[in-house]
Amino acid sequence: MPVIASRRPSPIAWFIAPALLLFTLFFILPFAVMVAMSFFSSNPISNPNALVTTRHYQRFIEDSAGIFHDALWETLRIGLITTVISLLIGYPLAHWMARMQSRLGHALALMAVITPLLTGIVVRTFAWMTILQDKGVINTTLISWGVIGKPLPLMYNEFGTVVALVHIYVPFMVLTLIGVIGRIDERLEQAARSLGAGRVRAFVEVTLPLSLPGILAGSLLVFALSISAYVTPSLMGGTNVLTLPMLIAQQVGTSFNPGFAGALGVILLAVSLAIVIAYNRILARFAGEQGLA
Amino acid sequence: MSVVLNRRPFDPGKAAYLGLNLLLLVFLLAPIAIIFVFALNPTPYISFPPVGITLHWFDKFFETGDFMRSLWLSLWIAACVLVLSIVIGGACALALARGDLPGRTFLTAFFMSPLMLPAILTGLALFQGYLLAGIGRPIWGLIMAHTLIAVPYVLRTTLAVLYNFDRRIEEAASVLGASPSRVFFEVTLPLIQPGVFAGGVFAFIVSFDQFPVSLFLVVPKGETLPVVLFNYMKFDLDGAIAAASMVSILLALAVVLTLERLIGLKAYVKL
Amino acid sequence: MSPRHPVSRRAVLRSGTGLAAFATLGAPAILHAQTKTLKITTWGGKWGDIMKATVLPAFEKEHGCTVSADQAFPYVPKLQVSPKNDPLYDVLHTNSNEQWLAVVDGLVMDKITAKEVPNVADVYPYAVSDKIVGVSIFTSAIGLGYRTDKGITPPKSWKDLADPKLAGARGGYLIPVNSLGQCHLMMLGKVYGKGLQDLDAAYKALEQLKPIKLVDFTGQMEKMLLSGEVTEGVIHDSGVYRYDGQNQPVDFASPAEGVMALEQVLNVTPGSKVKELAFAYIDYMLRPDVQKLLAEGVWYSPANKKVKLEAKYDAKLLTTPEKVATLIQPDWKWYNARKDDIDARVTKILKG
Repeated sequence: MPVIASRRPSPIAWFIAPALLLFTLFFILPFAVMVAMSFFSSNPISNPNALVTTRHYQRFIEDSAGIFHDALWETLRIGLITTVISLLIGYPLAHWMARMQSRLGHALALMAVITPLLTGIVVRTFAWMTILQDKGVINTTLISWGVIGKPLPLMYNEFGTVVALVHIYVPFMVLTLIGVIGRIDERLEQAARSLGAGRVRAFVEVTLPLSLPGILAGSLLVFALSISAYVTPSLMGGTNVLTLPMLIAQQVGTSFNPGFAGALGVILLAVSLAIVIAYNRILARFAGEQGLA
Repeated sequence: MSVVLNRRPFDPGKAAYLGLNLLLLVFLLAPIAIIFVFALNPTPYISFPPVGITLHWFDKFFETGDFMRSLWLSLWIAACVLVLSIVIGGACALALARGDLPGRTFLTAFFMSPLMLPAILTGLALFQGYLLAGIGRPIWGLIMAHTLIAVPYVLRTTLAVLYNFDRRIEEAASVLGASPSRVFFEVTLPLIQPGVFAGGVFAFIVSFDQFPVSLFLVVPKGETLPVVLFNYMKFDLDGAIAAASMVSILLALAVVLTLERLIGLKAYVKL
Repeated sequence: MSPRHPVSRRAVLRSGTGLAAFATLGAPAILHAQTKTLKITTWGGKWGDIMKATVLPAFEKEHGCTVSADQAFPYVPKLQVSPKNDPLYDVLHTNSNEQWLAVVDGLVMDKITAKEVPNVADVYPYAVSDKIVGVSIFTSAIGLGYRTDKGITPPKSWKDLADPKLAGARGGYLIPVNSLGQCHLMMLGKVYGKGLQDLDAAYKALEQLKPIKLVDFTGQMEKMLLSGEVTEGVIHDSGVYRYDGQNQPVDFASPAEGVMALEQVLNVTPGSKVKELAFAYIDYMLRPDVQKLLAEGVWYSPANKKVKLEAKYDAKLLTTPEKVATLIQPDWKWYNARKDDIDARVTKILKG
């Protein structure tokens, strides 16, 4: 891509203004209040005796109970696994849909991809529970066929959590990738093949690099979504999964300690922003392109 | 695709590719099938195998005023969020890709951050902010909160398309004498349309299915569908939930497909 | 105090506005010049249906006010954020554990007496005991729900849940988020150790209950029992009795060691601008006709001693001093002070 623009921001830079306004008023300001609250022992608005303290952060760092660090690690691990699996199964689907000739076929596949997103988060998770639980569709069927004697441990663990998360977030991956893959000129791939490259090699050397922006966008969306999910892990994970968002929801909703919840949120946001920026850098190097942000 | 398959001898690679994708669609739709079964099954809980067929839960859904009121409210809010986030997110993507702004990497990551913060905190923080500002919980406050969560999607999907497109097409157009606004509406916009479309679909869905952010921002009698469903489920876990899900799938799908026809077709004509 | 208007329940349910119509007849003559709004929290589900269809409209007519009822959880965090002199709610309805958390921050009043709410004079002692902030208007008994078709003997003791045959088929709650789970934990301390506050014994007993299926709200436990995913689990009586007459193979057992109380507590916020109306609302909710309507609608045991339920309900709910005496009320103040440590400990015990 030729660099024509001057070094100074071009007039088009002003297009960022509405987004900046929105984020300043509805994100930075409320978030700043929340961060401030995370340095108080209790809500300074309702409790005039609240003290300024770093105890919420110390509580996380010291982790005397031995659960917070594990929860952070588990959050990131589940996020990573979900992202990788979503990419692996979302890419072929997006590729297929982007290359589909039939309008009808495309519309049907699009409906199939979008429908899971419209079912509602809790209802959808309950559907997964019905499929995966001990008396669920899979275990009941397998037991009645005599394939297994005891129910397989399909849920109340990380496996069930990841299955349900992938299910919700694959559509985000697919829809993001369709737009990008659809923009790649199919003739480039055909040209490579006519020059003797195998199907796989043509894909790896032509289509894949060109779809990197889509992969980046899709995996960032899925990663961000899965590390901040709390309904699905708490319903699917049973006692075996504990993520930071679950702890945050607990602190807000049942321990009524928004200060500590805010501190956990700040920590999660800081860690994930660092990961996202690092990921951006690495992928940009792979793509060999400065413009990839 | 089937035409290609018929013309050539059996191609195991292609068959595997097709089979894999159909399998993925089954994976995506399996829970929906379960919800459908549940919506028609007379037992008052999710059970397998089903024991019969009834429309009782659909009756209950349509008879319960709360469900219908909140469904329309959710659709209406989602529509507002769709428009707002396409405009704000699309413009922001253009600025980031074309504006030669300093600190682009940081800005892009920053605009993603509402997605990384557990939404229950975003909701709580906004609720606190609104109360501090003394504006209470107006409906536009809820719409802006949803827009905040929706903009990152539009931004990401549009950026992904923008990076891939050949800027020379725009340059050619302006060399040929097209005004900047004409270049924008007739060249740039159709080219980024798939990204904006994907982002718009996300925006609509994210708002329509938004639960944690809405939790603190809805007012009594102004609850959105996910909030109503969640609270209903705390007490009654019956088929009305599944019926609600089926009805909202159909309605929301109609909106999305209309959108695709409108935006999608227009783009085909222009290209 | 006897019911002012003997209302036939069927008539009320049929007309939907029956109670409203009756209530207007006896409404105090003083009609407020301007309409006040009473902001309350309330449950959803069947309870919410009855509230919205009859109970609240009748109250609005009687007092010439409007009621804004919040049904969207969680209530206390919202109240926490709103300014104290202009609270989001006038009346807070939650279970007892949350009232105790709220009172620490001064979000609700400590005590409600018959001076403010005359009907408090007629409630069972538990409803205003030292284990309660505010006043409990109903209670449920937390015991064991079980399947009647799986060949298990009906549980007689809390210890029966530890039966090895129930491995993986027993149900409990996520202790950090559900007060039934917290009650169960304390009960384990009592049954296996020195008392409700014997946490070490409780932790040890909890370990023995693995593998156990934990849910985060009671509706989900009902569903797990009904679908057979759980054979025996901790649940409140109303969660089982509400399926009465629907031919479901589930029943409720009150263990010999006693049942835990799951109180429905109402309380007033100190900064409320319509305190009189708030007290009037609590008084109204304690009125025998309203109590009967709700008790029979959702199988909650009424707190008012003077309520006479139909035989079917009377047989199963806690409606006599003797039956009420089996209720164990935990010390939530004590529990809440340790909640964070307990949460971390049980999370570690149950994980992996």
